[in-house]
Amino acid sequence: MRPITACGALCVVGAMACGASVPPPNDSWAAAQADVGRAQSGGAPENPDAKLHLQLAQEDLQKAKQLIGEDNRRATTLSELARVEAQLALSLAKDASSQVEATKAQSDLQKASAK
Amino acid sequence: MWALVPMALGALVACGGERIPPKALVDARADFTRTQGGIAIQLDPTDVHEADLALQRAEQAFRDSPDEASTVDLAIIADRKALIAQAEAEALKAQNDVQQAKQQLDAAKAAQLQNTQGQLSQTQLQLQQQQAASVAQQQQLQDLQAKLKDARDTIAKIATVKDDDRGMVITLQGEVLFKTGKYDLKPAAMAKLDTIAEALKGKEQPTVVYGYTDNVGARDMNMGLSQNRAQAVRDYLVSKGIPQDLVTAQGKGPDEPVADNASVEGRAQNRRVEIVVQPKK
Repeated sequence: MRPITACGALCVVGAMACGASVPPPNDSWAAAQADVGRAQSGGAPENPDAKLHLQLAQEDLQKAKQLIGEDNRRATTLSELARVEAQLALSLAKDASSQVEATKAQSDLQKASAK
Repeated sequence: MWALVPMALGALVACGGERIPPKALVDARADFTRTQGGIAIQLDPTDVHEADLALQRAEQAFRDSPDEASTVDLAIIADRKALIAQAEAEALKAQNDVQQAKQQLDAAKAAQLQNTQGQLSQTQLQLQQQQAASVAQQQQLQDLQAKLKDARDTIAKIATVKDDDRGMVITLQGEVLFKTGKYDLKPAAMAKLDTIAEALKGKEQPTVVYGYTDNVGARDMNMGLSQNRAQAVRDYLVSKGIPQDLVTAQGKGPDEPVADNASVEGRAQNRRVEIVVQPKK
């Protein structure tokens, strides 16, 4: 087992050295772009925390685009990073609006109970 | 100087010492621990699982190649996934709270509506009762008016009946009731008064009996005679069932003549008794 792992590690190192064999991350980059779009329309620009992660996502997306073809391995990681940043931005925006909605519902209930 | 650091770290690994993890990995571990200990484990286990896998990947990368930039990237990815699980769970909890509050609100509104409907039904019932009472009152009034009309029709057969501002006025000629100068009732008068008493009985209307004479003779005598005649009629009506507190007598003598005292006919018309039945108060 061990020799195989060692061989695998060697292969990876070899591949890195050549900068070859990692395909351009076109699909994951497109998926990241779609996630950024979802975060933008999902209210992320209106919430400070979400906005910060949206900006990070946009930066990673930009960097990934520049590196495609040049350093596909890094471009892949950056695309994945852009995805999670965008997803987090959307989740934070969703959480913030849900909290607002919950507070309003609670207040409506209290008002109705007070009548 | 900085070039020495990787060498030193390498030496540390070689010696089997602990490598210092990058800050991103430290953050990822802390955020994952927090996520795992929070509500996400119940509300969003899928995202927690994904965060767990991402952290394992980052840990593996740290063990395999701690100096690689991708190790930090994987740690950031793991950290973000932990935060996503946390935010999703909190959003889900808030949405559940919203649902619950809305259900409670609906229940409160339904209870309020039921209460209002109850009050409305009560009011409608009261209104119906009032309407029924009003209809009954109307009916009573109609019955009373019908009885009054019947009474009037009955009386009109034996006496003159008219209405003026005092009420219904029944006029009986003096000759029919009394002998000249007397005030005890003739039997024929009694028969007429029986009819009148019967017709007025139960109507509960205040009644005044007025006695009148012509202008022949002394005024004092006429005043006394008319008072006695009115009183005789009044007493007779009371004896026939008209409540005594409802009927009074008043002598007017030769006052308020209805005809000219110069002629025999005129004087005969002036000698009269008027029974005034006043409207019920």
